[in-house]
This record gives sequence, structure tokens and C-alpha cells, in this order.
Amino acid sequence: MRLLVLAVLSAVLMVVDARFTVLKPLRSQLGLIVEPVYWLGRLPVTLWEGATQELSSRTELAAENEKLKAEHLMMQRRLQKLAALTEQNVRLRELLNSAALVDDDVLATELIGIDPNPFTHRILIDKGTKDGVLLGQPVLDARGLMGQVVEVMPYTSRVLLLTDTTHSIPVQVNRNGLRAIATGTGNPERLELRHVADTADIKEGDLLVSSGLGQRFPAGYPVATVSEVVHDSGQPFAIVRAVPTANLNRSRYMLLVFTDPRSPEQRATESAEAQEAADRQAREQGQAGVDEPTDATPSAVEDSAAPRESEQ
Amino acid sequence: MITVRARNVWVIWLSMALALLLSVATLPKFMEIGRPLWLALFLTYWVLALPHRVGMATAWSIGLLADVLNGSLLGQNALILTLITFLVLSLHQRLRMFPMWQQSMVLMVVFGLAQLVQLWLNALTGSRPPTLAFVLPALVSALLWPWICMILRGVHQRLGVN
Repeated sequence: MRLLVLAVLSAVLMVVDARFTVLKPLRSQLGLIVEPVYWLGRLPVTLWEGATQELSSRTELAAENEKLKAEHLMMQRRLQKLAALTEQNVRLRELLNSAALVDDDVLATELIGIDPNPFTHRILIDKGTKDGVLLGQPVLDARGLMGQVVEVMPYTSRVLLLTDTTHSIPVQVNRNGLRAIATGTGNPERLELRHVADTADIKEGDLLVSSGLGQRFPAGYPVATVSEVVHDSGQPFAIVRAVPTANLNRSRYMLLVFTDPRSPEQRATESAEAQEAADRQAREQGQAGVDEPTDATPSAVEDSAAPRESEQ
Repeated sequence: MITVRARNVWVIWLSMALALLLSVATLPKFMEIGRPLWLALFLTYWVLALPHRVGMATAWSIGLLADVLNGSLLGQNALILTLITFLVLSLHQRLRMFPMWQQSMVLMVVFGLAQLVQLWLNALTGSRPPTLAFVLPALVSALLWPWICMILRGVHQRLGVN
């Protein structure tokens, strides 16, 4: 009898939890206990890592330092190139009269726990509603997209990884813009592209970036690289497998992305206004006869373009 | 039922808290798939030892806590632990007479059933393991049972929990 009552009670709870939002605040408050428990559960690992770090020898540290310096140099080089590319991008976008790219705001966060169920790919991070984390917010690491926030608690939140079987993300082939949907397989090293035509132009080594079409993930972040394309004449679609670029099961530190809450129209209007203001300012400066040294900023481009027109 | 004066009941709660902690503790990747059902094991011991103290209501509330910790549907683990407690309660007079290995066998079946229900509930929410691996935790738990039982019995008798 008591079993029946409790079973019905749990069934009702499950249905309410799955279908309605009534229980969400309660859940989020109960979530307060989550962080200390996971912290305690992780304690042996944390202690072990701390100990190995303390005891690692000087030579190891020196080697690591060397490696990091080399990496830093590489990054610097890429950053220099990036600056030039960004300028070029801005100029091309001006030519196209499209809205400027807005850099997203990010918040660094740390992994504090992994879902004990090995068949779901979810992790726990140390930022919650108190830090402004929102439901559905994208999470990425240094190499690419990792997943999205599916549950927010006061000081922690749960993130569903790209490779979970219930997760899909709209992507684009970086080389030619081919659109597809990448679905998780339950294997942390593999995504599968669904419904890709057998004749589609996609091959091994292609980089897949997020397309932003689902309105959930920002566009242009790397998601995966294609590892295998199988053409089976018995199948209606090609089988395309990809490896996530993010270190889904190794990353300790992640970034939460805050995308612009404004609508695309608003954004376009505002950036157009900003551009007009900049133009006006540049024109005034030009009339005042101030000669700026050729900086590769848009206003400098305007300046250098204006005299040429007057010469003609 | 004769009312027995409660003594050192905090031990039960402490052990259940330990089980909750163990159920989310970080394990190496290859062991994750066979994670023992700590909550079910600890609960089973207390139900067998003190059926008048630990019952289905206790199991249900602990299951609810486990749900919050695991981020599963509220009520999922609660239902499963209640089910296990029900089965153990209805078998407890017989189970207590069995030798240890036989208890392990019976518990393997009980835990296996619970894992099956867990699988169904997971399938309802969309995540489904592709293999038979979901019964592995039941097997591991059954193998662990004699040790858990001995340790908890030691604590139980030393502290005179009632």
C-alpha cells in the first residue's frame, strides 16, 4: 500500500518535472547542496593533482614553462595575423553594408563534477544564476564549442555536452558553407552528421563550425573536424563522422558565452548609426586638416579614400 | 509493532550521506560503467537490520536527494530505491536466514530489476545505453555486498544503533 502511494507520488513528480516548470525553482534551490557534495566527491582527485603539482620536479616545470612559451609565441603570431584579418573583414563588411561583427562577452568557469551516469554526457560547472548564467547558454573551451547549459542552480549549473545522444547542433563546413546537423553519439570522441547527401562536397579533414541557425549557439565557433566519410550505395545518405575539436573529456577550464540579447535588426541599426557617427567625425577631422598617420582603422581608410576622389 | 526507543539513529543518516557522496565521487573512466549502487547497498543493509526504523519513506526521501544530485528527473531514483526497499522488506525474513553468498545472489536479481526500471525511465527521457552494460552495476554491487554488510554490521553493533 505504501509502495503504491510512493510510486504514484514519484510518477507524478517525474511527469511534472518533465512537462511543467512548476518544480524548477524548488529544484534550483535544492541544487545548493550539489556543490559541496561534488566538491567532497572530487576531493581525492583534487588532492592528488595538488600533490603531483607540489612534487613535480624543477626540470619538469622548466620543460613545461618552455613548452608554454613556445605555445605563447605561436599564439602571438596567429594573433598578429588575426588583427590584419579582422581589419580586412571590417573593410569588406563595410563594402557590403552589413552589420559589424560583435565580439561576444565571456565568463571563465571551472569544471567541478561529471555526471555519474556514464551514458549521459553532462558536466557540472562552478557558475550559476548568481553569476548571470542563463538556460541554453553556450559553453566553449580553448579549442571549440563544448555544449550548452541545461540546468541552472544558484552557484552551479549543468552543461549538456555536444556528444550526448540527445544533443544536436547545426553546423557548416568551413571550406564551402555546406550546412548540416551534427548529432551526438554517446561516444566522447565522435559526432555524426545527419542527412548529408551522398554527392555533397564534404571530405576528411574539413572543419565544421557552428552555423548559428538554431539561434542557440553563436555562429563561427569550431565544433568538429570530419574524420571519416563513408559512401555506402545501400544507404540513402552518406555516413559522416567527425571528432569534436574541444577536449570534451579533458578540459578543466571553460568559457561561458554571453551572446548579444539584441535582435539582428536592432544590432544592424545601432551599428549603422555608430558607423555614420564615425564617418561624420572623420569628415570633420578631414576638414580641420588633421592628417592622421595611416592607421589601418576604418576612419583612416575613409581618410585615404577621400583625397583620391577629390583628385579625380 | 512494538515501538523501540531510537538510539544512535544519526549513524544511519551519516552512512546514507556517505553513500550519496560515493555515488557521485569521481571514478576512473573505465570503472564508471560499473559504478556500484552505493545507495541501494547501504539502504538494503539498514532495511535488513532495522526494518522498523528504515522503510520505504526513508528510501523515497533519500532517492529524491539523489535525483537532485544527479540531475535526473525528480522522483526517478526515489521510485527505484522505494522499489528495492519494498522487495527487500518483503524478503527480509528469508534473506536474514541465508548465507552471505546466497544473499548476494538474491540482491543481484533485485538490483538487476531496479536497473531495468532505471533503463526504462532513462529511455523515456531520451538517453539510452546501447548495450547490456546497464546490468554491470548490479553485478558489481552483489559482489561488494558481503564486505559492505560486514563493515556496516561492525559499525551497527559497536555503536548499538537501534
